[in-house]
Amino acid sequence: MKNAWLKTNTFHYREFDDLSALVAAKARKKVTISLCLPTLNEEKTIAKEILIMKSELMSRYPLLDEIVVIDSGSTDKTREIAAAYGADVFEAAHILPHLEPHKGKGENLWKALYITKGDIIVYLDADIKNIHHRFAYALIGPLLLHDHIKYAKAFYDRPIATGKSKMRPTGGGRVTELVIRPLFSLFFPELTQIIQPLSGEYAGYRELYEKIPFPIGYGVETSMIMDIYEKWGLNVIAQVDLDRRIHRNQDTKALGKMAFVILKTFINRKKKLGLIDLKEKLFDEMIQYNLVHDSYQPDITRLEAVERPPMIEIPEYREKYHMSRN
Amino acid sequence: MDNLLEKLPAYVERLKAIKETIITNIVLIGQKPSPTFKEKARIKAFMERLSEFQVDECTTDGYRNPIGIIRGQSPTKPPIFLIAHLDSLFDKDIDHNYVVKKSTITGAGIMDNAIGVGVLVSLPEIFRHLELEFESDIVLAGVIQSMGKGNLRGIRHLLKTWATPIRGAICIEGGFLGRLSYYSQGMIRGEIECNLAHRTSWDRKFKPNAILILNEVINQILELRLPQKPRARIVIGKIGGGFKHGLIANNATLGFEIQSDSDQMVKTIYNDTKDIITGVGHEYGVDMKLKTISNASAARLKYNHPLVKGSAEIMKKLGLNPTSEPSVSELSIFLSRQIPAVTIGITTGDNIQQEDAVMEIEPMFTGIAQLVGIVEAIDSGICDEERMA
Repeated sequence: MKNAWLKTNTFHYREFDDLSALVAAKARKKVTISLCLPTLNEEKTIAKEILIMKSELMSRYPLLDEIVVIDSGSTDKTREIAAAYGADVFEAAHILPHLEPHKGKGENLWKALYITKGDIIVYLDADIKNIHHRFAYALIGPLLLHDHIKYAKAFYDRPIATGKSKMRPTGGGRVTELVIRPLFSLFFPELTQIIQPLSGEYAGYRELYEKIPFPIGYGVETSMIMDIYEKWGLNVIAQVDLDRRIHRNQDTKALGKMAFVILKTFINRKKKLGLIDLKEKLFDEMIQYNLVHDSYQPDITRLEAVERPPMIEIPEYREKYHMSRN
Repeated sequence: MDNLLEKLPAYVERLKAIKETIITNIVLIGQKPSPTFKEKARIKAFMERLSEFQVDECTTDGYRNPIGIIRGQSPTKPPIFLIAHLDSLFDKDIDHNYVVKKSTITGAGIMDNAIGVGVLVSLPEIFRHLELEFESDIVLAGVIQSMGKGNLRGIRHLLKTWATPIRGAICIEGGFLGRLSYYSQGMIRGEIECNLAHRTSWDRKFKPNAILILNEVINQILELRLPQKPRARIVIGKIGGGFKHGLIANNATLGFEIQSDSDQMVKTIYNDTKDIITGVGHEYGVDMKLKTISNASAARLKYNHPLVKGSAEIMKKLGLNPTSEPSVSELSIFLSRQIPAVTIGITTGDNIQQEDAVMEIEPMFTGIAQLVGIVEAIDSGICDEERMA
């Protein structure tokens, strides 16, 4: 396997820390940039993300033109806090309300395409405990300073918070190493050069996002990489070392569900591309077991592989952006 | 002074326009763990933020205290020092990632002293936003090795090596808003160690218990007669020892602090304590060690010193009720060097020295307005007529 891409398209965030240069490049390219934060009960971290981005990348350096929160129906104070710190807050269910509603991160990202105005859209997970403005500017940097790059993805060390205020220095990334990397190694070895394909932080041009479908749930990162790779090739993708990202830990059962959705997304993509032939339909239920009073009880979660079509196919979107049907 | 006082209430509202930047500084610096003697990460963050805010000079002194200087318009006026200690009580394995909500920020070290440091590095932006320029140079110093065993080494070194006179100083602490400290108490902080681990011959019978020995020391300390004037007290603040419930304790430590308005009284009580320890050690046939962790001298400004009076007026104009309390921190080093100085708090909060310390965001703007007001008052010459009483 060639690994030329790893050398040419891998960056470190420090390569983009001259924010004045990024602002100048943005002006030269005459582009606008939106930051989108998909949320579901993120009241502990959302304010910090918004205020740091607003202070550093809007007030001090005009790199971002808007900060948009797309919420999946939080039951805590996420929306209230986000609005108090100046973000534009939307409930996903109220965007394009005539469409059948779905809940999931991918749904929020997809609907953000309709709501945001930017030519470049930066997506950041809203649960980053050690948020720093590099999470946004370092992903925007390759898009502004390298004309061939249209999509930049984060990778980092992943210490995890293990409760009781203690930090564990390594961990996380289990689904990547146990599911995605083996799959990529088996079917798309070139994509193994992407160090953290499941990272939830990426920036890209609208012209890419609007042309690809979005699974509504966890599979969105996997499908996005596969679709961009398939349509435009690996060379439009960059990856940026953001140093360190601290996030809350997820238990093995939650990761199991994530792995289920990702596997399903992967297999469906392969099928769609004509690369595999399935003899029968995949099931939609993830079955796990709990030990309850000395007996094993199944814990069944229905995880359908619902996918939104490319946004450009939605008439309201084309109308909003004055696009013709062709 | 009247003109200055009139402007102050408007500052509070104007500062809210740069709320995000101030909170960002508090968070980005406070989230860097900075236990005493291991402040490197916070020093780096402090320097990075100050350079980003384009202060005229940004450097570290020979002791690694990070310093930013905003150049004043008059080359002849001595500088004004604004300082906040960089070290905190929490080790780096404690989660330092803060939780910001609508009206509060929660996390380890937020009140002591992430706010002080965050506000300090925000001052270049705050002065720009309020369109303020000064005659004096403004020296923004984050001082290291202040707390506990640090024994104020950072500030001691900074002032010892600073070549020129200093016009006045403000020490910035997170809590509490309304605090106005203008005197420091004489203080010795000590630790008594009782360690029996090597005395194996006692294992069969009558083995002394390190905790009970320290208990005897405490009882004898409590029997000391302390004078009403000069005021003096001994605080027994920390105790630890033993290994498990069913084993006689081989070791124990006791942390205490002697405080008094008089340095001589502190020394006298310290010597009495030393005698108690020698006596108890002799009586029980054990080796006991007394270590001095840190010390500070008693020094004060009078309440009618213009800096104190002026600061109190500023606080009252902002609706605060100035509360005087002694300080055993950086203030004592300024005062002992005859430099007029006060310590103020920036906001209200809770659980100040715990992992889940909470700061209130809204009162912070009043706290910063008071700080800016006192800087302006010093720059207008409030300390120039009268040095220390």
